[in-house]
Amino acid sequence: MVSLLRTIRSMRRVGLREWFRQMQYIGDAKSGRFVGMDEFGNRYFENMNAEEEIPGRHRWVDYAQHEYNGTQVPPTWHSWLSHIRLDPPTEDPIVQNVTPHWKAPHVENLTGTRGAFKTYNTTVPKINAWEPKVTPRGTSSL
Amino acid sequence: MSNRKTFAPWPAPAKASDLPPVDTQIANKNSNALSLQQPRNKAEYVLSTLDKIANWARQGSMWPMTFGLACCAVEMMHMAAARYDQDRLGIVFRASPRQSDVMIVAGTLTNKMAPALRKVYDQMPEPRWVISMGSCANGGGYYHYSYSVVRGCDRIVPVDIYVPGCPPTAEALLYGVLQLQRKMRRARPSVLW
Repeated sequence: MVSLLRTIRSMRRVGLREWFRQMQYIGDAKSGRFVGMDEFGNRYFENMNAEEEIPGRHRWVDYAQHEYNGTQVPPTWHSWLSHIRLDPPTEDPIVQNVTPHWKAPHVENLTGTRGAFKTYNTTVPKINAWEPKVTPRGTSSL
Repeated sequence: MSNRKTFAPWPAPAKASDLPPVDTQIANKNSNALSLQQPRNKAEYVLSTLDKIANWARQGSMWPMTFGLACCAVEMMHMAAARYDQDRLGIVFRASPRQSDVMIVAGTLTNKMAPALRKVYDQMPEPRWVISMGSCANGGGYYHYSYSVVRGCDRIVPVDIYVPGCPPTAEALLYGVLQLQRKMRRARPSVLW
């Protein structure tokens, strides 16, 4: 819940610089426990105090990129952020031990760039253009 | 102030030099479409700045024309309601095509409805965008083999964003709206010479 008291409290806790960044990107003064940082530099936070954060807004991410986007959160952290898993991937023993070694690195949504996915067809075309094959005249031995 | 210890030492946001290269920047390396980010001369700098201002103004308040045809429309209403709250993005449903920028085609487009869809689209002023929402609008979906259904609303109007799902969640539609904003941010009509 946005209130003057809460804003001032958060500002005192996180400092002016961090508060300014929050107002630029999140639009709200938030304070809480720093949970971890993923490989892309996104920072994840949590505040379980229901007096300070409305339940539902108690876990949040601070994106590293200026052009931020929900797909920049890797799946392990997404499952924590969306309450699919209770513990963050830095603490969760299952995520740490069961994650397969062949898992591909996470790639954000590349729509609108040259890396955008384009469908392609691998079947043989059903319609073929007619290519005339004519034996030139006068060359036959007959 | 006993709990202050747990709040105080937040690590600063990581510097770009310490982080792995950004995927979108790798994908757009040596592209000729970077005049908004890296203008090549002064004229391009001025023109692309004008483009950026126009883009900023456009993405700030999209007014969607709601073309709710089926169950997807219910999810579209959820996007407007309190939980996903499209109003924070400046999005207000506008029931008149003449005052809207975006058309959200939500649901099965039948042959009978297709002329009406086209007519509504033609009444929208430029610039206009179309979000195709759900399997039925994307490509016919469940009714692809029906005798009376258009196999995708892109046969009738040009579509900018396809939102998959049957029906897509309100979250998915909102992500589609954010992707449309991203597309608007990329627009650079004045430097396409």
